[in-house]
Amino acid sequence: MLEGSSSPARSTVRIQDVVKSFDGRVVVDVADLTLGLHPIEGLIGPNGAGKTTLMRMIMHSIGFDRGTITFTPGDSAAPGAVLSGLPAHAIARLGVVKTNQVIQDFENLTIWDSLLLAASRARDERAYRMYRERRVWRDYGAEIQGYLDLLPFDNPYGFAMSAGEKKLLDIIRCLLLRPRVLLLDEPTAGLPAGVRDRVMALIKQKALEENVSVVIVEHDLNVIWSLSDYVHFMAEGSVVLQGNPAWIRAHETVVEKYLGKGHVGR
Amino acid sequence: MNLDWLSQYTITVVILIVTTVGLALLLHLQMGLAGIGNFGIVGFYGVGMYAFGMFYVHVPWPESWGVVLPLLLSLLFGALMAGLAGLLVGWLIADLDADGILLGTLGFASIVYGLSQTNRDWTGGAEGMGTTDYPFDIGTQKASTLLWLAITTLVVALILYYVVRVHRSPYGRLLIATGQNEALARSLGKPTFRAKLVMFATGSAAMGLLGGMYGVMLHYIRPVELLITVTLAAMVGVVVGGQARAWGAVVGVILVGVLFELAFMVWIPFDVDLRKQALPVIRQMLYGATLIIVLMTRPLGILGRMRRDKTVRRPKGA
Repeated sequence: MLEGSSSPARSTVRIQDVVKSFDGRVVVDVADLTLGLHPIEGLIGPNGAGKTTLMRMIMHSIGFDRGTITFTPGDSAAPGAVLSGLPAHAIARLGVVKTNQVIQDFENLTIWDSLLLAASRARDERAYRMYRERRVWRDYGAEIQGYLDLLPFDNPYGFAMSAGEKKLLDIIRCLLLRPRVLLLDEPTAGLPAGVRDRVMALIKQKALEENVSVVIVEHDLNVIWSLSDYVHFMAEGSVVLQGNPAWIRAHETVVEKYLGKGHVGR
Repeated sequence: MNLDWLSQYTITVVILIVTTVGLALLLHLQMGLAGIGNFGIVGFYGVGMYAFGMFYVHVPWPESWGVVLPLLLSLLFGALMAGLAGLLVGWLIADLDADGILLGTLGFASIVYGLSQTNRDWTGGAEGMGTTDYPFDIGTQKASTLLWLAITTLVVALILYYVVRVHRSPYGRLLIATGQNEALARSLGKPTFRAKLVMFATGSAAMGLLGGMYGVMLHYIRPVELLITVTLAAMVGVVVGGQARAWGAVVGVILVGVLFELAFMVWIPFDVDLRKQALPVIRQMLYGATLIIVLMTRPLGILGRMRRDKTVRRPKGA
């Protein structure tokens, strides 16, 4: 299934028999779906197909009616875990991490603050650790500076001002958590074109070189077609089709439900 | 040393102000950073005060231990009880919204006030109970009170130092993140509930210690010491000074305290009739008016917003 059998197994998230309904209307109904078997996977579908809801269910930021979601880390040393039984912070600690579709930020934390927060670990953040600041900068400063060199901000000691900066900050925060499975919910929305390309190159590098399983939800389909190795197509709450991008792009159902006739020839 | 210029009453008022600064600093951690608007400060303070008093009075201390050790152990016990109360209340309220926290903590303070009037054998009921004199005698009562003021000030200074350090530590960053966007902090792998609980319980324990120490100064603890005015004084101080800043609590409480307690009640030589009848009421009104004026003109308090964009830099040698 993977291009090289010598590469270590990828971390995966398996969604089994998961149902979520809001006020009796079934929003997500997935029988069996495994995310992360390929370096970069796309998750596409029309508005209301349940893509974002499914991702939020994986992160356990919303509960669901029934079903299980399990995480299997690629390196066999670490044990797997049932995500649906864990609190949100424990899921992030396992390495299953999601960027936010709607912009999220800490109003009073600067860009450096925000990134140090993401990078620092629980041992740095105990109530009696009054003199840890220097060590945190020493331990994580270089890594953060690396990201800031690649994706510069106006003033990294100030606050993220524009929507684009906040979105970018969100993505870097997630990368600093050293994800194994990285869920990107519309990562390019609001980013300037030049920055977007750099972000995508970075994501690709993470997926290929650091064995991160990336799943992208995106409405800019050019991103999906150019970047992903595999595509899941969702409609009306369930996964309707799975396959490689070229096949999905040409498929009759996808064209009818989502792309519209015009897209094929473009 | 001639202390005639200083009245005993003034010293006790200064102790009250210093104690309130301590409470306000702890409230700053809870409300200004972690976003827990604790309206039950006086409850934890009262648990500390009464646990201290009851432990001190009812435990049969051996003669050979002297007075200092039992007093210290009792203060510690008071802090511990307040910490446990904080753990319990924190566990109940930490995940509620602002309204729930307000009502929960306010309710807790009322329970403590109610309990302090029951169980006459233990608490002395509505009349209160005598506890102890200062564990030292350096001549006059006034001098001893001054020494106790120095000790209280030292404890509050330590609290201030801790709070200032928290602002410059990863722990403070975690608290600020938790207060501002808890869901996001959680998605970054931060156990926000535990962080809030630990912070709330330790803060409550420190409030209990301040309550116990104030109880020592009082010599005689009564339920009337546990009215909501204690909470309001700390709350108004924090809001006036600037709830997002460490020094906000200090500036706010000292300003309000000196203005309304010392200047109004001690320094300005008002007519005696006025002082007895109208002044307390006028003072309450001005108190409220000050809060309204500050909130209207500087909603973030005198010191204003958290200025992390000006202060957070790479430390030297890192």
